[in-house]
Amino acid sequence: MSRADTLARARTLDRPELAYLVRFPTSDGIRDMELTWAELARDTDWVTARLRDHGLAAGQRALLTTSGFEGFWGHAVIGALRTLKVTYGIAEAMGWDHRRTAVFHRELDPHAVIGLSAETLEGLAGAADIAEMFRSTPVVLARPAAVPVLRGVGVSAALITAVGPALALECPERGGAHVNAAEWRVGVREGQLSVAAGEGRTSLLPETPLGIAGRVITGRCACGSEDPRVLFAEADQSTSSRS
Amino acid sequence: MVGDRDTGDRYFEPQVETMSRDLLRARQEERVVELVEYAYGNSAFYRALWDEHGVHPRDIRSLDDFRARIPFITKDMVRAHRARTGDPFGGLLCVPTEELTSVSSSSGTTGDPEFFAEIWEGAPPLVTAQVRDLWELGLRPGDRVLSPPGTFRNLMDPGYQALGAVVIEVDTWLGKMDEVVEALRTYRPAYLQMMYPQMVELEHLAGKTDLKEAFSSLKGASCAGQPLSRKMRERIREDWGIDVYEYTSAADTGTAWECREHDGFHLWEDTVFAECVEVDQHGWRDAAKGDLGELVATDLDNRAAPLIRYRSEDLVRLSRDRCGCGRTHARMWVAGRRGDETLVQGRSVVLRDIWQAVEDQPETVAGVFQIVRNGREVDELRLRVGYDPRLTDDVDALAGRLGEAVRERTGVKPVLDMRTEEDLLKTMTSVAKFPRVVKS
Repeated sequence: MSRADTLARARTLDRPELAYLVRFPTSDGIRDMELTWAELARDTDWVTARLRDHGLAAGQRALLTTSGFEGFWGHAVIGALRTLKVTYGIAEAMGWDHRRTAVFHRELDPHAVIGLSAETLEGLAGAADIAEMFRSTPVVLARPAAVPVLRGVGVSAALITAVGPALALECPERGGAHVNAAEWRVGVREGQLSVAAGEGRTSLLPETPLGIAGRVITGRCACGSEDPRVLFAEADQSTSSRS
Repeated sequence: MVGDRDTGDRYFEPQVETMSRDLLRARQEERVVELVEYAYGNSAFYRALWDEHGVHPRDIRSLDDFRARIPFITKDMVRAHRARTGDPFGGLLCVPTEELTSVSSSSGTTGDPEFFAEIWEGAPPLVTAQVRDLWELGLRPGDRVLSPPGTFRNLMDPGYQALGAVVIEVDTWLGKMDEVVEALRTYRPAYLQMMYPQMVELEHLAGKTDLKEAFSSLKGASCAGQPLSRKMRERIREDWGIDVYEYTSAADTGTAWECREHDGFHLWEDTVFAECVEVDQHGWRDAAKGDLGELVATDLDNRAAPLIRYRSEDLVRLSRDRCGCGRTHARMWVAGRRGDETLVQGRSVVLRDIWQAVEDQPETVAGVFQIVRNGREVDELRLRVGYDPRLTDDVDALAGRLGEAVRERTGVKPVLDMRTEEDLLKTMTSVAKFPRVVKS
């Protein structure tokens, strides 16, 4: 007679190994790829480690701004926050929902804001001082188009974004967004990023150009990680060049 | 034919969904008595309020005691506590913030959003309470579902996945219906969640694509945020072949869905204690059977920040008669929101009458309109109406016809602000609802 009982009943069902079919844009159109529960668990572990690197810890609060179709990485981020015992608030990443982002930020005083979009910043800019709002937030993980806007006003934002079916997440060194080398191979061809599935992935994904301008840095990061780092041309743009 | 499916395993939790009313009431009583003690001991808001009313948990030993002694609460009371104390949860929180898993919120279309404190394992509370409804709709392990338009009340995927469904990541937000139709053809999902503006967008596609074929894999689709009009519902069911299940808020304690009978919204009464009451300056009484009253709800499964005797402002009819589906949990039929009635120079105007007039014009058949007002009592009826530009040669002529149709239905000649449907829908600030009454 409660939600817990409902979920207990659900656990008796014969569930498939698949959690998601992830669709992502490539230079040749939309493509899809399976994501199993085992893979999602590994992705969650990886995100947990990255967020721990950012100093997230039990008792803190975070604000996640995401969209309904981003569950394949949103699920992993939420799983990581739960593992770290960080309470999270959630708002849409779409620009029209900027007001809820502002209220969550004001009332919850989050240690981290994750997934901030340029559209949200644009909405917020009409009524708030972006610099003042986010400068005191210890961890700001923003999407590529939002990063130069934030850095342009003195907010030390790091990058989070999907790279096809993979997640890229910048460490506190802010020298490019790491992609989990145990699961993915990222590369560059003619200035465009590409991604391929690692051997452990259920779904085969050969090297696939993504139509995203950027470059990849290999070798050990100052944070100690050997995961390759992706630099997005969009995130490297200066604020003035965007206007 | 839509809705024509095997019903052999219709109930997800048959022992709960079909339990006798006596047993259900006994369980509710047990929960309510525990809840009052818990809330008094842990919530600053309830302790202060009940002290002020001279109520103590030792006084509450039954549902009758509960209803007789525990005062109603309103959204404004919680907001006032929030403003007075700075507590974002309005004093409702019964646990330290660190114990919360997540915080979601209301849409905030009429003011600052209210927070919903959540503690959960497996799947967030709102979607978990929908698992029985999704099972009733026909969702089964291995089925595919399209991702919902937003994350309004938390990520919904874990609820679908609890049932063994596989989520297909498709952007189903406005302006993407072409892609959605393509995804429907490619992935043949069993379920998708929709909202009213998507229906309007699909209506525009109906002339150039075979929607019935595209939707043919669906066991059902849900739609929430506002009631579908009779015409729209017929269009969706008959012309597009979708068995559409509407659902609505269970006074912020969860949601209430239609079952396959499509005869009222089921409340899951093991999670909510529902009352249907008439309130006036002299006090309150139960609404007579079959009469409209205000839905008052008490959370029975929320240890984070339970709502207790919360006046929802939703005007409903409530029935505890067994449904044709065999379930014993109460059903409600929503007539509107308290306060949605507009008084134009003393004359009462209700949404339903305006809606009918708008739908009767071919160019505005989608029913996209809003009342623009600063208060309930106004000198003129200002309406913002969305029209389909493909069907509209002369906007002034349409406005003339529409104005007359509204006058015939309401007795009031409106002041019309005509916009394209697209422009009007773009003003939405929530994945959950298209507001029918706005201030500007």
